[in-house]
Amino acid sequence: MASDTRGRILDALRTATRRPPAPRPVLPEPPELTLDRPQMIARFEGELSAQTGVVLRAADEGEVLRHLTATAHAENLATVMASTDSALAPLDLKAWGQANAVRVHTAADFADRETFRAACFGAQAGITGADFAIAETGTLGIIFHTDQPRLISIAPPVHIAVVPIERLVATYEQAIDQVFRDKSSPPSQFCFITGPSASADIQATAFKGMHGPRKLIVILVG
Amino acid sequence: MPKVSMFIPCTVDLLLPQVGEAAMLLLKRLGVRPSYHPEQTCCGQPLLNAGYRAEARRSAKHFLTTFWDEDIVVSPSGSCVCMIKQHYPELLKDEPAWHARALAQAEKTFELSQYLVNVLGASDVGAAYHGTVTYHESCHILRGLGVTEQPQHLIRNVRGAHYVALDNAQTCCGFGGEFAASYPDISGALVRDKVRSFLSSPAELLLVSEPGCLLNIKGYLHRHHPDKRVMHLAEFLIQQKVA
Amino acid sequence: MRQRTERFTTIARRELQNGLSQTFLSLLPPGFRALRAMGMSSFPDPDAAVEYARAIRASVVARLPELLEEFERRALALGAKVIWTRTALQANEIILDLARERGATYITKSKSMLSEETGLGEHLRKGGVEPFETDLGEFITQLLGRPPFHIVGPAINVPPEEIRDAFLAGAGLKESTTDPVRLGLAARLFLRDKFKHLKMGVVGVNMAVASTGTIINVENEGNIRMIKSSPPTVVALMSPEKVVPSLSDAMHLLRILSRNCTGQKITSYVSLDSGPKRDSEIDGPAELFIVIVDNGRSEIYQDPLWREALRCIRCGACLNTCPVYTKIGGYPYGFAYSGPMGQVLNPLLLGLADTRDLYQACTLCGACREVCPAGIDHPALLLSYRARAASDWHGPQAARVLLRRSLATLLAFAMTHPRLWNLGIKLTRPLFNLAARDGYIHTLPGAQGWFACRDLPAVPEKTFRERWRQDHGQ
Repeated sequence: MASDTRGRILDALRTATRRPPAPRPVLPEPPELTLDRPQMIARFEGELSAQTGVVLRAADEGEVLRHLTATAHAENLATVMASTDSALAPLDLKAWGQANAVRVHTAADFADRETFRAACFGAQAGITGADFAIAETGTLGIIFHTDQPRLISIAPPVHIAVVPIERLVATYEQAIDQVFRDKSSPPSQFCFITGPSASADIQATAFKGMHGPRKLIVILVG
Repeated sequence: MPKVSMFIPCTVDLLLPQVGEAAMLLLKRLGVRPSYHPEQTCCGQPLLNAGYRAEARRSAKHFLTTFWDEDIVVSPSGSCVCMIKQHYPELLKDEPAWHARALAQAEKTFELSQYLVNVLGASDVGAAYHGTVTYHESCHILRGLGVTEQPQHLIRNVRGAHYVALDNAQTCCGFGGEFAASYPDISGALVRDKVRSFLSSPAELLLVSEPGCLLNIKGYLHRHHPDKRVMHLAEFLIQQKVA
Repeated sequence: MRQRTERFTTIARRELQNGLSQTFLSLLPPGFRALRAMGMSSFPDPDAAVEYARAIRASVVARLPELLEEFERRALALGAKVIWTRTALQANEIILDLARERGATYITKSKSMLSEETGLGEHLRKGGVEPFETDLGEFITQLLGRPPFHIVGPAINVPPEEIRDAFLAGAGLKESTTDPVRLGLAARLFLRDKFKHLKMGVVGVNMAVASTGTIINVENEGNIRMIKSSPPTVVALMSPEKVVPSLSDAMHLLRILSRNCTGQKITSYVSLDSGPKRDSEIDGPAELFIVIVDNGRSEIYQDPLWREALRCIRCGACLNTCPVYTKIGGYPYGFAYSGPMGQVLNPLLLGLADTRDLYQACTLCGACREVCPAGIDHPALLLSYRARAASDWHGPQAARVLLRRSLATLLAFAMTHPRLWNLGIKLTRPLFNLAARDGYIHTLPGAQGWFACRDLPAVPEKTFRERWRQDHGQ
């Protein structure tokens, strides 16, 4: 039945009288392409802050860890989930956790997806890397893969993303071009994140933390 | 002396003849010789809007035949002009000879304020008025023809007149032809809002350039606020005495 | 979804008298204008951005079968399963079967107008699988059993007291509150539990990218990311016209989509899925089903004008600017799509016979066409539905159709015979002026609608033509 249905739909579409579309008009280039790095950083910070995202700068790994410690205190974090993304590798988060009385779990700590999932919903924060910081709208770009599970950045109420400064780009297209460079094996999921989870569905009253994180903290490194 | 053939919409012919006369007088004052072709009837817009394309096509052909020899056609109704300029070519697209005629007609047909400003280059048409006025931007004139600056330009150049912008001037007044009679609740709510904007403005006179909107707002004002006035832009622009 | 479009006028009247709806609706046009202007100003040339978006949607409609095939080929290569269905019922049955086979007693859904169109929720419930809407607005409308009031804010008009009562009864709200934020958090807690144990989730699709086989979802709340992360099985429901040629086109439409409606530059989350999760990944769907629901669109596509309705990207701008919608809200339209979007789509999806009010209740003001980033000419489509309906001799309205048609024929005859036309005009005066006093007509038989709220100037003694003749001696 299925293939027959497919054929009938496509045949009906194909045999309809059609005209080729008119040529595309000219689209001006995004003005963000002319931004230099300091301007991109300023733009990223400004746009993400407007969405209540917190942008922190860190010169090196030590400073990243100090930001994490401060955040752990401020948010009263006892249990966090961390990805094993390359941006986090130099940090040794397990050791940081032990030193700061924070239980740090990674996917490898769990035998199966069920227990991992339960842990993500139980964690107070998720720490991930991010593959892109996109200046135009203060947007993170995250490629999900084995070392970057999806739930860590959506299930816990706080999301902390660590982004090396060289991952800063100007536009969505610059990120997308890299992500989909190899058409035959794109990542199973790629996500733009611009601020915490939000809703304004009741009386148009806006608030953060609808289903996902209520707080987004981005640490730019370098 | 430029010659202009006037197309007088049926609503004006029957219910608002003073608007047609004002348009004629205005053109004469600006050195134009207006004429009136007695064979003209209706542009066919009500037929098209009700879904009668074949019938609308017949009235379109009558119009194109009637005005074939005229150099310029001007009308004090933006929706009729939209019908002629935009819908005639679409209605007649399958009849090449008529389609060509419709396109030629579109080129030489103008809404009144469009003709005054864009073709004649008019600013001060010699009118005078003492008081504050505002203007409703009828949908077909604004979005259909893209005419928005022209009427306001003419109003601003009337001696003694103080022009204020109307709140939500670009929102539909709820006329819509048959719509007004078929959906009285919705249409009534829309014209009430339009009149509220007018009443909350400092203006004592509301101007429109579209006979349909004029009938709608005039009829509503007479029922609910008989002391308030609305008139067609052409009527306003022939006033010379300071009231 | 239950069709109630025949009750348009009744519900419209009720909503016009509903103070809460009116208060909310009165804020919509000015708020929208300001937000849209702000959002669009981030483009270097907003008009060029709109024109480009329109061109993308034109190319989608023109190349629909080729793009769909390309999308399917790429999606299959990535490991997604693509299922084509002709009817809403087929789609619903397939999704119900998928849920049952996986032992799911419930599923969670993201906001999907297509699933409203197909009535998926109702079908699943009847089949013993509980569907939970997870978009906050949809969650509320589901509990209240109402259609969406607005495509972007389905329950934006519902007073918090009603939400409180619904949440106390059906969403585990413990303490009585009318605070929107606390109500939102109650929904968060309730639905979190559903996400946590979820076996299968259903999402809509904002865009399906032909060149990569990727599906894209746009959202603020995070419920879609939850659904695409937590359960082992995900079903993505799309209509054929969701396909776009390329990622760069998708990025442009992404920029337009929210800026043109809510003014947001981008929503909180935009997720791009290319197939199911890879084997080594610990979360994300092991199975990704993409269900393409035709539901009459390939027939709509046969008409070169009607197929233009398929350009719609569901941004909602047309609702916010429509004089009729902003008076009556979403309920009178009685179906998934409301406002000009619904006036254009519902008659095609439900048939012209049952949706007469949707294409008649329009002043043809063109405000929708002006803000449409997809390039839909709503008035032209509505005129074409009117034309089709005016020739429908077989429907339940046959007598009315015949009467109106005769009148139109007569009018057209008079319009092409000036003497007859003028005679007719002349005869109008005594008839119209029967009830005239103080220079105005106050009522006319058969025109109660006009005179419900307004008068009509009395017919002057002489028409313009007569005055002209008199003055010019013709």
